[in-house]
Amino acid sequence: MDDLKDIAEFALKQAQRFGTDYIEVRVEKSEGEGFVTKNNVLESSSFGKSKGFGMRFTVNGALGFFSTNNFSKEAIKELLKKSINTAKHSARLKENMSMSKESFAEHHDHVHQKKNFFDIAPEKKIELLNDIEQSAKEIEKKKIKLSTYFSLSMDETEKLFINSEGAKIHSVIPKVNFFYFLTLKHGSSINQRFWQYGKSSGWEGIESFKLNELMKEETNGLYQNMKHGIKPPKGEVDVVAAPQVVGIMVHESGGHPYEADRIFGREAAQAGESFITSDMIGYKIGNECVNIADDPTIENSFGYYSYDDEGVKARRKLLVKDGKMNEFLHNRETASQMNLKSNGSSRASAYDREAIVRMSNTFIVPGEYKEEELIEGIKTGVYMKNFMEWNIDDKRLNQKYVGSECYLIKNGKIENPVKMPKIEIDTTTLYHKIDAVANNTEYHAGTCGKAEPMQAIPVWFGGPSIRLRGIRVI
Amino acid sequence: MISDNSKLIAHYMKKRLLEKGADDVIIEIGEQENNQIKFSNNKISTTKTWVELGAGIFATFKKKIITTNLNEISKESADRAVKNIILLEKAIKPNENFYGIAQGPFKYKKIKDLYDQKIKNLGEKSIEIVESGINEALKEGAVRNGGLLETTTNYNYLLTSGNVEATDQSSNIHFSIRSFTDKDASGHGVASSNTIKNFDYKEAARHAANIAVMAKNPKRISAGAYDLIFEPLPLANMLEVITSSASVFSVEAGLSPLAGKIGKQIGNKIVTIYDEGNLQNGLASSKFDDEGVPTRKTTVVDKGILKTYLHNTSTARRYRVKTTANAGLISPNPSNIVLKPGNYKKEELFKSVKKGLYITNLWYTRFQNYVTGDFSTIPRDGIFLIENGKITNSVKEIRISDNILNIIKNMALIGKVPKQISSWEIDTHVKTPYAVVKNIKITKPE
Repeated sequence: MDDLKDIAEFALKQAQRFGTDYIEVRVEKSEGEGFVTKNNVLESSSFGKSKGFGMRFTVNGALGFFSTNNFSKEAIKELLKKSINTAKHSARLKENMSMSKESFAEHHDHVHQKKNFFDIAPEKKIELLNDIEQSAKEIEKKKIKLSTYFSLSMDETEKLFINSEGAKIHSVIPKVNFFYFLTLKHGSSINQRFWQYGKSSGWEGIESFKLNELMKEETNGLYQNMKHGIKPPKGEVDVVAAPQVVGIMVHESGGHPYEADRIFGREAAQAGESFITSDMIGYKIGNECVNIADDPTIENSFGYYSYDDEGVKARRKLLVKDGKMNEFLHNRETASQMNLKSNGSSRASAYDREAIVRMSNTFIVPGEYKEEELIEGIKTGVYMKNFMEWNIDDKRLNQKYVGSECYLIKNGKIENPVKMPKIEIDTTTLYHKIDAVANNTEYHAGTCGKAEPMQAIPVWFGGPSIRLRGIRVI
Repeated sequence: MISDNSKLIAHYMKKRLLEKGADDVIIEIGEQENNQIKFSNNKISTTKTWVELGAGIFATFKKKIITTNLNEISKESADRAVKNIILLEKAIKPNENFYGIAQGPFKYKKIKDLYDQKIKNLGEKSIEIVESGINEALKEGAVRNGGLLETTTNYNYLLTSGNVEATDQSSNIHFSIRSFTDKDASGHGVASSNTIKNFDYKEAARHAANIAVMAKNPKRISAGAYDLIFEPLPLANMLEVITSSASVFSVEAGLSPLAGKIGKQIGNKIVTIYDEGNLQNGLASSKFDDEGVPTRKTTVVDKGILKTYLHNTSTARRYRVKTTANAGLISPNPSNIVLKPGNYKKEELFKSVKKGLYITNLWYTRFQNYVTGDFSTIPRDGIFLIENGKITNSVKEIRISDNILNIIKNMALIGKVPKQISSWEIDTHVKTPYAVVKNIKITKPE
């Protein structure tokens, strides 16, 4: 940590000499490796290290940011001078920016790897990819042509954050990630599927994904759907959305619109705004059984952190409580705009990006039903286990989900597979149509995109299965 | 500029890797400086600068492929990387599909308008451009504006075991503005260039504001088939998706609707698409690709017929064709995507549409199946109903849900004035005019 501390303190002291009002420095050191296979051919094996720092500051009330991987003191001084000069010139056009008052502390957080992935031989990692390929290939016994794309990666990031208000947060967080893309072909029929698993952990996280069983289950589900799938029932039917589908729904329409920087228009140009306005706390967005949380403190989660990238202690946020808007996601700037304290939602994808308001692990809070009980009450409906296509507009109202592995529900029982049921629905209708929430919570990994330049950031999304009553399925 | 010392370290590393048994070595050193001014609600939100120097290393040993990076260019970090490459090489399997890298030396031609020192030296003038852009939009009737001005300068040095040693430099200035007249009414404009002289940010600001003014009071319309007029920004989005899927890597990975379609009609006869790595003032132009092959103009789609996939040397050898100079060492990638202009004025395009929609921007393009090409994407900012050649209403909450190849199959008219597009949603730069695409399915939420 000492090498990070020296550079952080040097940069902070230098910035103070240039008349800055507030300064924060994030120094990061990352190391990782990755393996990519396409149709069981090892396309690339890679490893790498990165080290650099980013500094955010205010001068004459204007906000500035700069980053570099050049740790030469002369280069830092020169860059600092240039950045502060630009920020000073921007001050005549600056927004009225302020930051919430927070109390800061010193904190150290180390997510320990039970099985250090750097100690696992590359042969083992490649062997795992080969085993997964063989598990997936079992489906070829059924005269299916399979093609695969796998990516296995892991990295560990050490980060030191200090600011001019006394924060000193040091963390070491490892992450493991597995992405797969499957194509099954039988005659002229083609079915595809991709998904991602990720955790903040050592190699034990990869083991917990049970990838061999997963591949057998995925390929068989796709095969059954291709072979026996029927058209979905048309018109208004009931839908049981399983955790993967709930995860994407809640991330897109139950998480993004609650990001306060969208609400205040700071991301308007690209990532978009929100249908929510700052006076809508208490607004009824769904049925009483709907509760939505964002919680970065879940141990080993993909979106884990204990202190955010402004040095604020992380906590669980209940964005929707009993169907009503309850809290937005804030950094210090947006919290100040609403006379609140930050709730620790400021994240940057790496040292070379400014921290902005982001989700961490976003999910529907579980209810008391078993999943079977949700299905039992349905006369005609669709069980949507997972999905392929999805999208949502930039105000987070108009959304679409196209099911991948899905089944017909008839008189309370799951029957034939159903091909590509489509839901196209607005956010208010979606959350008002939820009449029951199960207790089978699952969290799934995703990479969330926002900001300019794009910041891809690891998150979990999920929840338990939910029942949507009487929605249009195409 | 890349220092002589950095170049010496690249030579040292190449030599060490070859001594250790490497068959191919590629080292690319890059130095990049970016400056960005981000604005929202007509005010500057933040100013940003980021400077990076690093090297990418590609090495093969009997078809075993390893990639890594140097975050710090020094002899010590080069030695560490060589040691780790050798350790990893012993552990991994060969890629039997790998057929080597390009053999030089090559001659490189200068590309016009690739670098402009004035962009590097812009300094505080960037604040004036932002202010002037915002004011231009306000004059046209915009109420609030968000966006960014970004400048980039790149210096590259490439050294390979295939007798390539080359340098390149480029610059870029990009202005993106989204104007609002209401919560539900917005327009987007972009301007990008490698040189200041070709950079018309005021036109982008006026365009964004004009669309936002027209977009007020949007109404919902029925789902169904419509003829679509795409302006360059959203059409660039579609063309990027289609042309990127011509990368042979995407074809083999199941990520492309173009598998098995070489020589087949995939678009209307009026559609010709080029990949043009040496385009004058092309945002993605460079003298050479990632293995040092001189960039060129490749006809990807000729009068609607798919002519080639995009290749690097290795994939080209495997397919017994010539490289298209699109390395990407693992995956070939497009450079500048260019739709050949047609003969129509903008007014003529609008006049040709009886019942249609004018699309000014798109986002969130996603596929239900990459091989079949079934997809949807969401029009954003101004969307306008066209009846009998005239705009009659602003529209909201629709989705294009169709097959991606129908965008070029049903392309009926192409405008005559191309525009170079770079945007948040578009990774690869595209140069395209307006175009009319007939009979595309529009859906909407319940």
